Order: sequence, then C-alpha cells, then structure tokens
Amino acid sequence: MNYKSGICTFCGTGCGHLLDVRGDKVYGVFPMQNHPVSKGRLCVRGWNVHELLNTPEKITTPLIRKDGKLVEASYDEAVSCLVEKLKKVSPDEIGFLASPRSSNEDNFLLMKLARAVFNTNNISLDSDPGHRISLDVTHGGTGMAGMLGSLEEISKADFMLIVGIDITKQNPIIGSEIHFAARKGARVVTIDTRNTQIAKLSNGFLQIQPGAYKIAIAYMAKVLVDENLADVDFIKKYTEGYDSFVKVLSSLKESEVAEKTGVDIEMLKTAARDLALSRSAMVFFSSGISGFDRETVSYIFNLYVMAGKIGKEGCGVNPITGINNLQGSYDMGIAPDLLTGFQSLSDGTVASKFGKEWGVNLNAKAGKAPNELMGKLKALVTVDHDETIIRNVNEVSKMDFVAYIGSYQNNCMNYAHVVLPIATYVETDGTFTNTERRVQLAKKKIEPAKNILAGWQLLSKIAEKAGAKWSYGSAADVMKEIAKLTPSYAEISHDKLAVGGIKTGGVNRFDVEKAGRKIAFAAADANFAVPLASEEYPILLLIGESQHYWHQNNLMKKTHIPLREYNATLLLYPQGYVAISPQKAKELNVRDRFPVKIVSPYGSMETLAQVTDKVKPNTAYVAYFVDEMVTKFFMEHKDVLKRGEDTTIPVRIVKV
Amino acid sequence: MSEINNITIPEIATITEIKDEIIEVKTFYLSFDGRQGGQPPKFTSGQFVMCTVFGAGEFAVSLPPSPENDRFHLTVRRVGKVTNALHSLKVGDKVGIRGPFGNGFPFEEIQGKNVIYVAGGIGFIPLRSSIMRVMQNKDKFGRVLIFLGARTPQEHMYAYNIKEWKNTPGFEMNLTIDNPVPGWDGDTGFVHTLLKKKNIPVENTVAFVCGPPMMFNAVIKELIDLGIKEENIISTLERHMKCGIGKCQHCAVGRTLVCTDGPVYNYRQLKTLGEQF
Amino acid sequence: MYLINKSQVSDIAKELQKEYQVYGPVMEKETKQCMFVKVDDIAELDLNAPIPALPPKHTLFPQFERIMSYQYDKKNQKVDIKPDFDVSKKALFGLRSCDLTGVLCMDRFFLGQEFVDDVYKNHRKNMFIVTNTCNVPFKQCFCVCTDSGPSAQEGYDLNLTDLGDQYLVEAGSDKGKALAEKLGLKKSDDSHKKAKADVIDKSIDKFDSIAKDNKAWISRVVNRVTTGLIDEKVWEYIGNQCLECGACSFVCPSCTCFNIVDPVTGPETADRMRTWDSCSYEGYSRMAGGHNPRHPVEDRRSKRFFCKLSYSQSKKYLRPGCVGCGRCQWVCPGDIGLPNVVTYIRRDIQK
Repeated sequence: MNYKSGICTFCGTGCGHLLDVRGDKVYGVFPMQNHPVSKGRLCVRGWNVHELLNTPEKITTPLIRKDGKLVEASYDEAVSCLVEKLKKVSPDEIGFLASPRSSNEDNFLLMKLARAVFNTNNISLDSDPGHRISLDVTHGGTGMAGMLGSLEEISKADFMLIVGIDITKQNPIIGSEIHFAARKGARVVTIDTRNTQIAKLSNGFLQIQPGAYKIAIAYMAKVLVDENLADVDFIKKYTEGYDSFVKVLSSLKESEVAEKTGVDIEMLKTAARDLALSRSAMVFFSSGISGFDRETVSYIFNLYVMAGKIGKEGCGVNPITGINNLQGSYDMGIAPDLLTGFQSLSDGTVASKFGKEWGVNLNAKAGKAPNELMGKLKALVTVDHDETIIRNVNEVSKMDFVAYIGSYQNNCMNYAHVVLPIATYVETDGTFTNTERRVQLAKKKIEPAKNILAGWQLLSKIAEKAGAKWSYGSAADVMKEIAKLTPSYAEISHDKLAVGGIKTGGVNRFDVEKAGRKIAFAAADANFAVPLASEEYPILLLIGESQHYWHQNNLMKKTHIPLREYNATLLLYPQGYVAISPQKAKELNVRDRFPVKIVSPYGSMETLAQVTDKVKPNTAYVAYFVDEMVTKFFMEHKDVLKRGEDTTIPVRIVKV
Repeated sequence: MSEINNITIPEIATITEIKDEIIEVKTFYLSFDGRQGGQPPKFTSGQFVMCTVFGAGEFAVSLPPSPENDRFHLTVRRVGKVTNALHSLKVGDKVGIRGPFGNGFPFEEIQGKNVIYVAGGIGFIPLRSSIMRVMQNKDKFGRVLIFLGARTPQEHMYAYNIKEWKNTPGFEMNLTIDNPVPGWDGDTGFVHTLLKKKNIPVENTVAFVCGPPMMFNAVIKELIDLGIKEENIISTLERHMKCGIGKCQHCAVGRTLVCTDGPVYNYRQLKTLGEQF
Repeated sequence: MYLINKSQVSDIAKELQKEYQVYGPVMEKETKQCMFVKVDDIAELDLNAPIPALPPKHTLFPQFERIMSYQYDKKNQKVDIKPDFDVSKKALFGLRSCDLTGVLCMDRFFLGQEFVDDVYKNHRKNMFIVTNTCNVPFKQCFCVCTDSGPSAQEGYDLNLTDLGDQYLVEAGSDKGKALAEKLGLKKSDDSHKKAKADVIDKSIDKFDSIAKDNKAWISRVVNRVTTGLIDEKVWEYIGNQCLECGACSFVCPSCTCFNIVDPVTGPETADRMRTWDSCSYEGYSRMAGGHNPRHPVEDRRSKRFFCKLSYSQSKKYLRPGCVGCGRCQWVCPGDIGLPNVVTYIRRDIQK
C-alpha cells in the first residue's frame, strides 16, 4: 500500500491525510475518512501538500557564512561554529526563536537546549503573544490551558458565535464543521469588521466598527444581566468572581454601545438572548499572530461562563490556532517563563523536577522573548520562521551571530551565519498538537535527502558538541521524557498514538464536573474606548490576515497551485493593496488598482487600491503577511501592532 | 498538420532576431531546427501556438505572421513569469513550439467582400496575420479599412507595417490615440468613435475586432448599430491555456473550448456562449 | 460466461500479475480506508471492501505526473527534450461499475476528440479491466440515477458477480475470454444469468430512497443546466458555500482538468509535470495579465455542474459526466456535492 497515513501540518486543525509515497518521493495526497476532525475533507492547502514536499527549494546542506557568502559545510563544522559562537556570548544576550511549525519533540529539545545547555530563558515563538493570551485566560479561569471545547462536538452546539475570524479561509475544515452544524439547524452569529464567507453563511452578521469587539461582547454580557438570562444556578455552583464582573458592566450604556460598534443594538440583544437560551453554545475566535488583546478574550470567556456554556457537551470557548503546532509549542514550554504543560518556571518544585531530570540547575528567573530584546541580543538561533526577522531586519543584521535551522529556504538565510538543514515532517517521526489539544503522530515516510538530520538529531548533536550528554535514540524517546516531566502529556507515547491521536490531559474537552475547582471569571476592566478616526485621519485601517496570504506565503511560494491561488491578489496588485469601499473610492476618484497613499500619524506607504464591498466606507484593510509590501510600514507601526487582530490605525488615504 | 508530431512534445526553434515593438512588447523571429530551411509548420491566420521557455514554462500565443510568404515570428507582451523569461532571451537561444492549434480566421469565405479591422492595443497582434494575408491578395477583396487604437503614439506597434499599409493602394488606415498630444496628426479618441466618422461600408462587409474588454464591447455595439450583421463580426478570444489540444479545460467558455473550438468566433456564436466578455 | 469458486477468484489477479501491474481495492490497515492502489501481494485485494475512497482515475491520470524532462544549456544554446511517459501495463481488478463508467468518460474525452492525448493513451492502451458487480450500495451511492450501475454493461475485459459461493465471470473482450479459457474456468448456464439478475435487483432495492424513488432525478436537471435556465440566486447560494478546496474535481472519476508546470530540477534541467487542477480554484481561469473571465465563485461552480450534467458536455462523454459514485458529497466541506446541487436546482424548478 503506497498510501501512508499522516497529519496535515499547515494549520491548527490537524486534518488526517494519506500520502502517496513511492520511493523517496511523495506523489499525491488523499483525505482520511475516519479522522475524527477532518472526516475525509481537506482544504486547498491540504490537497496540494505534495507540491510543497517536492519543492526544489529545500536546504540540502549545512552552510557557513564566509566572506559574506554562505558556503557548503559539514554538520560537524556548522555545529562546532554555532556552539563556539554561542559560548562566547553571555546567556542574557542569546535568544532562541522557536517555530510553531516544529514538532513537539523538536520544540521540547530546543527549549531544553536553551535552558539546560546555553543557560538562557530567552526563548519564545514568533507569534507571541497572541495565543499566550488565550492560554492565560483559559488556564486562569479553568486550569486548562487551551481550547475548552472539542471540534468533534461542533455538531452538538445549538448556538455558535464567530468573533473576528475568517475561519473558512484560515481553518477551512473547522469552518466546514460550523457550516454543517448551521445547515442542520444550529444558530451561527458572526461578529466581524469584514464580510467574510462565514458571515455570509451565518444566520446573523454584525459588521462592527474596528476595535469594538470588546464593547460588543461586554454589552452581550450586560444584556444577560439586565434580562436575568445569566445561568444563575451554574454561576453559583461552579464559579467565582461573578459579582465583581457584573460591577464592571454596570457603567456600560446602550447609546455608547450603539455608537461605538456601529451595529443595530437589537441584533446584539438577540444574539445575547440566543446564546443564553440555547442548550449548548460555542465561541470561536482567532488565536495566534492575529489574536485579540487580553481584555477582549477575557470578556468572551466571561460571557460564556455566565451563560453557563462551558464545561458541558457542545459548549466551549475555542481559541483557534492558525499554525499547526502553536498549541503544542506552548505545551513544550516555548515561552520565557514556562516549562512544559504550562508549568511555571518560577515554581520551585517544577524547576527542580526538570533540573533533576536534566542534571542541571535551572535558572528560575524568567527570560524575555527575543522580540523584546531586539537591539540587546548578540546571538539568535531561529527555527523555520522569519516574521520576526522581517520586522527586525535592522537589529538582526547587526547581531554577532545568527543561526537558522529549517527544512526550506527562506528570507532568514540572508541574515544567518550558520544554516542547518533538518528533515521535513515526512522524513522523521514527530507529534503535533492541534488547536483542540489533540496530539497526533506524523510518522516518517521517506528517507531524508543526503543524510539530512532530523530536528531532534541535530539538536542532540548541538547539545553534545556543547558538552551535554543527550542520548535519544528516536523521537519516541524524546516523547518519553516529555511525558515524564509533563502531567498533561503523561499518557502520551508514540506507540499509543493511532489515528486521531490523544488529547492532552486525556480529556476530550474541559468538563466542569471533573475540573476539581471553581471556574474563575477573568479580570476585566471598564475601559471601552475604541480607536477613533479624526478629521485629519478619518479612516480606520485594519490589519489582518487575508484569504490570499497564508503565513507570509513562505510555504505557499514553494508550491504551484496554492501559489497561484494564494498569490491571486498579489498578481493583481503587485505592490500590495489596501481594500477600500466603493463609496470611498468614488470620493477619492480612484478605481480598482489605482495607486494611493496611506498616511498615518506614524508613517506612510504607497500601494494600490482594491475596491471591495467587504469593508465599510470608514474603514480600510491591509493584509498582514505581505513582506513585499509592508515591511517598512509595519516597522513604523511596530508598537501599535502589538494589539493583534483588533489593531487599527487611524489614517487618511489620498490619491497618488 | 505536418508529419512532425509536436502535439505533446514541443519542437525546438531558434530565435534569429528580436525586435522591440513598444514598451513591454517584443517580436521574436524563429527558425525551426527540425525542418528544412527552418520553415515553420503549416498554419493559417488566427491560429496560435504553445511556446515553451525552457526552465520557466509554457504559454499560448497567437500568430501574427501571414501564412503566405512572411517570416515566422511571435509578438509577446511581458505579463507574467514565463513571458518575462522569454523577454530575457537573446538571439540564438532556443524555445519550444507546439502547434499550430485552433480554427483560424476565415479567408476564402470572405473573398469579394469589404474587410474592416478594428484593433485596440495588443489586440492588433492576432489581426496582423489576417491583414498581411489580405494585403498579399488585395485584388480578391473590396475595400479594406484598418482602425488601430492605442493609448499614446508610442503604443502603436508594428510601425514598419503601418507605414507599408499606408502606401498600399486600397488600404484605408485610421490610427487613433486616446488623448491628443503635440505632434500627432492622426485621430484622437477611442477607436469605436471613428467607425461612424469614417463612414464604413455596411453591405457585404466583414469586421474583425480584437482588443481589451471595454474597447471590444464598445466597438461591437457601434458595428451593430451601423447595421453589420452579428455573424459578420469576427473576433478571437484569449484565455488561460495549458495544453492547447482541448484536454486541460482551462480555456472553457460556455460549452466550447477556446483552443479547439476557437479562438476565432463570430459575434453570434460569442453571444450564445453565455459568458461575459 | 464462466464460473469461478469464491476461494479461487484471486487466481484471476494472480494470473494477471504475470503480465501486468495489478491495481485493486485494498483496505489501509491503520485508517480502515479503502483505496484503489497497486498491490504486490494479491492477498491484500478485498472485493468486499466499500467503494474505494480514491477512485481508479489516478491509474490513468495521476495526481502528479512527469510527461517530459529537458536540459537546456544556456551557454551553448542547446536544448535536449526527452518525452517521459509511464508506459507500464496495468490491470485494474475489482473495479466498480461507476468507476468503469468514469474510465469510459475519460477514454472518450482524452482519446475521442479532435486530438488524442498521448500521455493518457500510454496509460490506457495496454490495460486489462476486471469489474465487480456491486451487491451492496453505500449510503452516498446513486449510480441507478446516472445509468452507471450497479453492474457494468460495457468496457470491461472480465466482469465478476458474486453469486454466493461462486462468482459469475463474464468476458467482455477477446482478451478477457482468452484469460478465462487459460484459467480453465467452467462454463455457466442460463440459471446463473438469472441469478445475476436477482443480485442486481436486490442491490437496487438497497439503494437509499432518494436514489431509488426518483430514478430520473439527474435527468430532470440536465435540461435546465444545458439551457442555463437556472436562477442566478441558486448558483449564488451554492457559490457561497464553496470553500474552493478543489476536492470535488479530485475525487470525481470523470474530472480531467489538469495544470502543467515546469519545475526546475537542477541548474539547467527541468521537468514538465502535469497535475490535477480544479475549476473551483480562482486562479484556474485567470490569465497572466490579471483578467479573470470567471472570477466570482458561483460562476466557477456553475461551470463544474455544466460539465457534469449538461447535454453539450454529454456529447463528449456519450453520457452524462456524473457517474453516481457520490464521492463529491463525501469530501465537500461546503456540503454542495452533486446530489445536493441537483436538489437545489430541482427545488428551484418546482417553484
């Protein structure tokens, strides 16, 4: 049988697929029908994964920069060079930038390498802090760090709220499940600034003003209070902190809500009532690079707790991860202050457990994310991703030493002094944890090209060269150590992972009966300010992902059909684009593809107009992931952009 | 079709000369390596070939040379990855050619009639073949009127042919640009506005139209208003093509495939295809 | 017509394996999913497995296939082209009649139009086909509505029908007959013919009511799709639900759209690859300059169903393009597989 089962590693859905493997090549892909999440479906990315796996743009040999040029080297030479350079730098000045695409095993070992070998806690993901916020809120509230519902139970939800996520494009198969449930009678309400496909498929669509998600959700909570729709029994029996949350809501006025959200207040009321009166309800929002700020996530969480729609069948607060192993990366302690399974580094018992296992004394003081140390770091080890590099080109190019570890060529290599190739996910074993905490094993299907090492092998080699004694014989051995050190992974081992995998903690979803504690309402404030346009800057510019850009297109660029599909907009708008409404276009006297200039208080850029009715007249939209277009503009707005999906910049747009 | 089978596998041709036409448009003269005297395969006006730029890919391109006694060449605008790669080639470099494919413009059927050509921008490229052929057989046709529209004087291509046709007895040449500029002595305004002005013949007339969608629709409307029958308005469609032989289906328009049922359609046929042009 | 004992039916495959690469339905052990794949061990073949998730289309028209490779020496201005087709001899064993119908559609399309597709011809010319009558339809099946099952009527070399303890073996070609004779199969009589008819009747009885009670449900929309007399709102409703994944085209036994790309394989070498493509993709009809004659998703959707159901397209296949296997309904994340689309169009007609 030339079809081998595996896991799609594009987005956080974690669909099952079968790869057509013949010899050392992957010739095709087919969906897996008995997979509990994808049930025989794949999206445009998943259906063309073999094109990526066949790309000639793989890194085929270790490289060392000599006289400004990357030249071929052996692993021994490149690893020695890396270790030598890192040893020369003080641990405070080393940063490790991990990838949310790496397997759990690779990320665990990178974390161990940083902490136990190079004695630094400066390790994080590129996509900090998006998903971390969701994890903090869910962990603080329930003790479970991650999605509280289950994708398998979408069909059991009567009501679903989709907040600010273009889910049929970002995680199409989850979008599909929601659509199926809607067709069977579930009520779906979308709150978004843009008219997305899921908005079209919803029973209700509230096109709100940018930055008004928090106030809209807060108002729904207030409706529950005012109309006595909160689940009082549930609140009394299972929760704490309700009263202080109600107090925060008291200052909220209907007129203020109407003005700031720009939507019909009755529709918000109806949505709140539908939520309260439904038997079971879920909420979906984006978590990751484009996630919400802490306050908005807290309000979403609190709304669902007070409606009693948490910890029961068909219920849940569901942050959706855009990248395949974002959840798993946090589970593996890829954060300055975390060890695996959301165990705190500052917890003495935990730290000594790890220290004992690893034979070192761990530095218990939390580090910082490399992003926050730009300008101070002298050395950086980065894996697979390049977003931070793009945003911090100036700082990174001034560093003494940059190492890049990855399977595919990308922009990072331009700044690297050492490049170390690793095997792709079909060339080694590795587990990935999807958005609903489902740990799945992708098995080795083909031999890596020309003695390329798997990630866990390379990291072991680095550790050994630096004097540590690691002795993993396989990725499964690494998982054994993870399981030993991590309560939520205690039950997981490679030989137990069959189709569909195992969810962390061994539970399908958060269960209020088995929580062993009360659910705590998240701290929330009464600051409902929304970004306002002014006379000088009358348009609110939204920054977000787009249908046609998927994670900077780093992977899509190496394919044919997804490239054609994802670059559609880029072909039409070679210098990037800003989406404006037809009404605005008329005012500006511009047509589709006319050049325009965006001016904000902090900077400006020239681009082309895309005229679309997807945005409202007083808003405009640019896609986040287009380095060709926005590197400079985004660098000018680095601080503003920290707010994630809800980020808005007041701008004016002028014809060029 | 010649005995050389190039339906699936391209045959190799050498670039013998490259001419800059207008901005972003070049003409490439080709000699066929595997054929006597480098002569091209037999083709007719209005057909197209699939051209491979080695290492970049393949694209469909209409044939501008006359099938009778003309140097074989392709005129290509730089628009995407493959055409970009073609533009970077030099004399002596090789390209691959499959074809010719497609139905082609009518020729025998329209002898004895007046012929009108209306072209906008690079829509001129496919019409050139038919115009040249008609010129080579001028005595078999009635009045021949040529209307060429471009945005600026610099964007009128095949300047050398235009000069020749201007001096061809019986050829009525009308060139226009969108907006007046100093030193331009031709017409100005969009090309469809010229038709009425120049008093085109309506009876016993065939019109060939090719150009961008907005221009195309305006011209068709004008021709029909003037009384030219739908079946006597002839055009050629351009679509995304991958195979050229009716298999890949990218060029499907209505129930037809542009590569095998087209690319030449009369307006009556176009109307029944049920798609926007 | 011949008979073969159930326990010996794999002898046919074993005999074929001497000359051909044998493909057939195999259950993937880990996922319990039936795939139509090449088998090395004949024991893996499972004639009772459910309809394969992956149709046999890929044996003739692979998902990702090299059709030529070339070298271009830039410095010396030389090019060397090598046609690179798969010419292996293949036997398809245990094909279901819907999938055979798909193959026949592809034959007429790739071989029977103005041009013959050389790549397809090389896959097809030395093929041996053994079909298997379906005695249990699956929940999504509707071949009885598309005249493509449950038993094959033409185009096979051998057709098997499960009669309990033995299989009825019908030869549909000289090649088939020669093989049956070579294996020394015993001859059947009229009672077996009757038994086969009973098997088919029983099978039809087991179809879902939507397929059984409305045998004309596809033909009723063929007219509408051909004439285009369908409210635009219906296509919009369908288009809104399309997630543009391409799955419907990929799993369809008769969908043949492909893309061609020339990926480079070295500094001066490249392959010409042909890969599955789908009309649901936006980039499918977009031209290099950016103009897209079929931009809105509903236009692309109506195009696909025109291809499957219109009379004009049926002329190319000599039958409707849909073979009633129901796979598009399985894999569609938008729940707009062909049976649903037909339902929406009929609902509109009835208005």
